[in-house]
Amino acid sequence: MDKTIFLVGLNHRCAGVDVREKFALTNVADFEKSLLAACPLREVMALSTCNRVEILVVADSDRCAGIDLPEAVLGHWAETCAGPLATLREHTYRHSSLDAVTHLFCVAASLDSMVMGEPQILGQLKSSYRKAVETGTARVIINRLLHKSFSVAKRVRTETAIASSAVSISYAAVELAKKIFGELSGKTAMLVGAGEMAELAATHLLASGIEKLYITNRTYSRAQELAKTMHGEAILFEGMVDQLRDVDIVISSTGSPTAIIRAKDIREVLKKRRNRAMFFIDIAVPRDIDPDVNALDNVYLYDIDDLKEVVEENMSARQGEAVKARAIVDVETQAFATWLKSLALQPTITDLLGRAEEVAGRELAKTLKRLGDVDDETRAALEVLVSSVSRKLLHEPICFLKRRTREEGTAERFIDMTRRIFNLDADAVIEDAHLDRRTVDDEESCGEILDCECCRDDSISSPDSVADKK
Amino acid sequence: MALPELLPILVIALYFLGTVLFVVGSALRNERLKVASLGLAAVGFSLHTFDLVHMLSGVDAAQSLTAGRFLFCLLGWGILSLFLLLWWRLKLKFLAVVAMPLALMMYVTANATVGVSTKLPPMLSGLFFFMHIGTLFASMALLAMGFGAGLAFLHLEKRIKTKAGLKQFQKDMPSLDTFDRVNHFVVLCGFPLYTLGLASGYVWAWLSARRVFSLDPKEIVALIVLLLYAYLFHQRLVMGWRGRKPAVMAICVFLLTVISMLGINFLVPTTFHGFKP
Repeated sequence: MDKTIFLVGLNHRCAGVDVREKFALTNVADFEKSLLAACPLREVMALSTCNRVEILVVADSDRCAGIDLPEAVLGHWAETCAGPLATLREHTYRHSSLDAVTHLFCVAASLDSMVMGEPQILGQLKSSYRKAVETGTARVIINRLLHKSFSVAKRVRTETAIASSAVSISYAAVELAKKIFGELSGKTAMLVGAGEMAELAATHLLASGIEKLYITNRTYSRAQELAKTMHGEAILFEGMVDQLRDVDIVISSTGSPTAIIRAKDIREVLKKRRNRAMFFIDIAVPRDIDPDVNALDNVYLYDIDDLKEVVEENMSARQGEAVKARAIVDVETQAFATWLKSLALQPTITDLLGRAEEVAGRELAKTLKRLGDVDDETRAALEVLVSSVSRKLLHEPICFLKRRTREEGTAERFIDMTRRIFNLDADAVIEDAHLDRRTVDDEESCGEILDCECCRDDSISSPDSVADKK
Repeated sequence: MALPELLPILVIALYFLGTVLFVVGSALRNERLKVASLGLAAVGFSLHTFDLVHMLSGVDAAQSLTAGRFLFCLLGWGILSLFLLLWWRLKLKFLAVVAMPLALMMYVTANATVGVSTKLPPMLSGLFFFMHIGTLFASMALLAMGFGAGLAFLHLEKRIKTKAGLKQFQKDMPSLDTFDRVNHFVVLCGFPLYTLGLASGYVWAWLSARRVFSLDPKEIVALIVLLLYAYLFHQRLVMGWRGRKPAVMAICVFLLTVISMLGINFLVPTTFHGFKP
């Protein structure tokens, strides 16, 4: 029984935010169930985040001959979201068979994300998959496909440098600070002025182990306010330069039209702090810190353009790594295609008998070696013995599989089970192979909310760590 | 005695393979290659240690103390043991790039000087040997580490200062602060050792020949090194020098000691520090 795999979906590239929010699936489980009821499908899994909706469908080829399945799925989708079908048709993409597999692998490996290489999407995919398993709409093929996509994502992460460097300004600043100071624990930072990006950078520094954060502002009350929310210490703007002797990292973003930190001040400060290194991050435009500061020994100054350049370079490095990642995806797609073909009765019987013959041959060789010299008759008798034992042992399972094949819709489940029991595909057991089975300690991790792919820009914790707890 | 004859070849091969593997491993960012190279170096190091012990335990132990081969062997051994110490204390695997080739070079030099013996009088006692050669070699091994850390510091600092962007290679390097800590350690321990080594030499010269300074070219260079080292020590510990300047100084001082060790010993006629047969 041939299977059709296809995938329809929309993402940030082909649909604007208005379309995305219109067609986001608020209750994925209900949608999956109603879709299964509405169309002649075998398996369904849907993923809905604020950057994308993907609906993965598996159907029997002969059962749905003559039906335009993608169209039927789109129709049901439009109905569920009470939106116009024409808009949906215009903004969605459709992939069928191996293209759908490749697409899913790319999504899992974050090659299709808005910020390529960010791991959030994998966590979202894992939780969607778990829900689909719970509602019972994901079975043999989607199980296998999703497990494969997780291992592809893992391979891409470990074998390429796609997620290795910072692609946001505030992260790039933290990365540089680590390159200068090594560990950031025990270091002190100062936030001069306020601004979204500066606060974000300060938050990241705190998360990286900065010990103390001073906050200063021309309006002292504002500094106090910020100090309260960021657990820092407010200081008077006039005392800023004096305070610098205890500060290793300075993030500046005031609206001052002239430089507020000058090279000659810093020269004095350096003497007082015995040349311990300082790192200045100047996010303000016009700049707050005299560029000459960078010429001093043990002082490093990065302004907003320098940081942007770092980020752009890292971005282009990621693009280069994406080529390697795509090669991995292609290889894995082919492997999946091979598996899909083997998910039929005949190849499975062949594989089973082959496995039995291999084991029998190996054991026979061992025994013959132990026995030493034996005459041809004994040898022949032994050969017959092992081969008939192994064949007879497999007779019942094979008959069972044959009977199931004659029934509607149960064959591939048992074939897949057999392949797994005998490990015919020689798979290594991957870490989340049992994602679809719940354990007791699982309950609490389910309660945690997964971050959204697009809310990523600067969140520190990667949400897939939630799924990794398994 | 097949082992002692094979030993130098084995040690050289191990160090060489280790160096090559480490460089390749760093280039390919392959941790396994690096670990393998450090393993090879460790095996080489233990054989090296065995070689030294073997030389000392022989019948002519007293003679080997002054043999060129033994001295260079000891220097290479010192460099590697310091590297292992730094690796253990500061997790500075990176310095293998300097330590392994240098140890290899010293060991090869050692074996090239077989049969060469210094003309130090046999009255040289074990205590003096430890005071003069041991301290000087230890401080030179320290300087070698300071040299490697200094080069790495200058390279990384330039990339950060000029905003040239960090390639994968630089991203894998330790931080500037770590390299500076190595420099601090080198200066803090190296200078007293060097001073002790030189002072003991002069004391011995006075005891044996009633003459402190013999205008030996090596002694002159050693004095210059001592002055530079003292300046570095002072600036670093008293004036709070950090970063680029002490790194540059450490590199210069190390190069000067290499000149005094190899250049003068082999090329310039000298009274008693030379290794000319």
